[in-house]
Amino acid sequence: MSEMWINMGPQHPMTHGLWNLRVKIDGEIVVDVDAEMGYLHRGIEKISEDRHYNEVITLMDRCCYVAGMAWEHLYILAAEEALHVTVPERALYIRVMSEEFQRVASHLMWYAAFVQDIGLLTPFLYGMRDRDLILDLFQSYTGGRMTYEYMRVGGVRNDMPPGFTDRARKLCTWLIDRFKEYDTLCLASTIFHKRCDNIGVLKAAACRKHGVTGPMLRSAGVKADIRKDRPYAAYDRVEFDVPVQQDADVTARYLIRMEEMRQSIRIIRQTLDWLDAHPGPVIAPQLPRWLGAPYAPIGNEGYLLKRNYPHGLGFSAIEEPHGEALAYLVNDGGEHPYRVKFKSPVFANISAVREYVVGYHVADIPPIMGSVDICVGEVDR
Amino acid sequence: MLSLYSVAYDLISIPLTAIAAHLPAPLSAWLVNTTLLNVLGALVFCAILLGASMINTIMLIWFERKMLGRFMDRRGAMHVGFAGLLQNFADGLKLFRKNTRRPKDADFVGFYAAPTAYMVSSLVMFAILPVSTGWSAGALPLSLLLALVVFSFAPLFIFLSAWSSANKYSLLGGMRSAAQMIAYEVPILLAVVAVVVLSGSFDLTTIVYEQQNYWFWAPLFLALIVFVAGMLAEMERIPFDLPEAEAELVEGWNTEFGGMLFAFFMLADYVRALVGCFLIVLLFLGGWTMPGWVPASATSFPLAGIFWFMLKTYLVFGVFIWIRASLPRVRTDQLLRVGWMRMVPLSLLSIVLAVAVVLTKCLPVIGCVPGIGGG
Repeated sequence: MSEMWINMGPQHPMTHGLWNLRVKIDGEIVVDVDAEMGYLHRGIEKISEDRHYNEVITLMDRCCYVAGMAWEHLYILAAEEALHVTVPERALYIRVMSEEFQRVASHLMWYAAFVQDIGLLTPFLYGMRDRDLILDLFQSYTGGRMTYEYMRVGGVRNDMPPGFTDRARKLCTWLIDRFKEYDTLCLASTIFHKRCDNIGVLKAAACRKHGVTGPMLRSAGVKADIRKDRPYAAYDRVEFDVPVQQDADVTARYLIRMEEMRQSIRIIRQTLDWLDAHPGPVIAPQLPRWLGAPYAPIGNEGYLLKRNYPHGLGFSAIEEPHGEALAYLVNDGGEHPYRVKFKSPVFANISAVREYVVGYHVADIPPIMGSVDICVGEVDR
Repeated sequence: MLSLYSVAYDLISIPLTAIAAHLPAPLSAWLVNTTLLNVLGALVFCAILLGASMINTIMLIWFERKMLGRFMDRRGAMHVGFAGLLQNFADGLKLFRKNTRRPKDADFVGFYAAPTAYMVSSLVMFAILPVSTGWSAGALPLSLLLALVVFSFAPLFIFLSAWSSANKYSLLGGMRSAAQMIAYEVPILLAVVAVVVLSGSFDLTTIVYEQQNYWFWAPLFLALIVFVAGMLAEMERIPFDLPEAEAELVEGWNTEFGGMLFAFFMLADYVRALVGCFLIVLLFLGGWTMPGWVPASATSFPLAGIFWFMLKTYLVFGVFIWIRASLPRVRTDQLLRVGWMRMVPLSLLSIVLAVAVVLTKCLPVIGCVPGIGGG
């Protein structure tokens, strides 16, 4: 068979989202690939310029629909820096807990999608089942399952309901037990290793060249984690390890994410203990009027305040489940952000696709792309 | 002896004779005529066979859906009929009512002929394989050979469907399918040779009679493993389902088929799964014979042979569902490497073992070891 291009996407079971991987194949070998993005562009950054600060949070949930909490956190950190708002400590811990639960939920979603890509049907539903339990937990204190609109400039919207920490602890125990089951279903299988070892290799140098971050970078032996390197919220006050693998292949990424989930549970347990011991307010008492929780007033009020508020620049970097997400926000004293810019980790991870897909088999593409953990919502925004 | 064909013949001949008694002589002579009765009897025989096999196939799908559901911590189909028993009939009806579309560049004849031929060639297997004594229409001295020949038609039709649907995914899937099925046909045939060596016959009925005392799975354990693995590849079930690997090839060779054409492929896949289980039961698990430890009262009720045969078939299929629920899919090159470099030598070894068992006459010794399958 001569060489030919085939489209894997935009409607294809491999893509897990709306994008297109054009693949040039020679028989069963991949000769060239080309990623086409942009099918899901909604102009979130531009829309943000016409929204009140707290209204942008709604858009952040739509940025990455499997890691809404992390993206809310990213935006909130930048907005608070730009608006010179201090946050009560309890809110910081709640944010850390929420982000870590979100990380586990996102990784479970990744697990479900990834195992399905290599043909494992059962763990797919196990992953989805356990993710649903986390979503139930989210629902109990934010009211939302995927789009939470929970964080606010200056804190979070509301405190936990009674009995929440016990429920969360129970879930942590359940999840830790399930992780063993996941590992048994994958790592104990010879076929799993045959499918995943030594494919999709992306070494550290190539990662740096393309700006690849997150589990992909850590699987290449680089110990880079913003939660450790540039701690935000309460991450400097909790103990956790950053898992590192050396092989830089699909199995290494699997191991990294599995270990990250365990570390997230470790962080969550510490934050739950802290939250039990330290009741208090969850949102800053003195806020500009248009930032007052829960919703900004709509009308002329904002314009009156326009020039009275100090200008500011906000930058934030968080370790999102997929990698390092950055945000930059300019406050010109108005009621809306003057400019918001986000950097999505997945965009960089996909951009390097030629480095880790070319030369492998067509059948290797689903596990490789599955191990990248793609969320197109944040790539296109 | 009561046979399915004689039942079918009676079903048509008794009413016809009764009608003929009231008719004038030339008409009744024309009506009650051996050739006509034989043809009509054969048609009724086919109808019974088709009905039984279709119902079994659909029940097999139900069985798989329910069992997979339990493996996955869910319930499977629940809403149509008791415990979802009628769900597949509803699905079939839905597919029957759906429109089928032919892509612009697809080859007309191939596109419509391939699913039909695939379906028919799979269904023919039911006429060849004896489910119980007196099941087959006629005694075929080479029924095993015929069964394997008909079973191996499939890659041809799959490739035809893949090529004629003018789709790159289909073409890749068809290529994979053809390569896979041809690669695994070899070890299957060699494993069957081991059975033939032990039983001394190509007739499936004789092979089962030979197993009255010792089921072949114990002395031919190696051949059983090769045969089961080969059957998994032939059925394109999960560790070896790469021709329709949905992660990379959408649906593989049947990507372009919708509606009833898809239903044909889907149904034929399960027919082939059922037939594969039939073959395993016939060749290795004693067919319709009962394990020796079962009391005679449990083995002598009417249609006991069919009951035991189907029970074994569903148990074997249950193992396949279990495998499907717990294993990932392998890659084409790995599959072919395992096929040619592991399965073929193993099956050759199993032939050597079978010959050794026959020559040393140690079948009673090995056959009795596990306790199951003794007469």
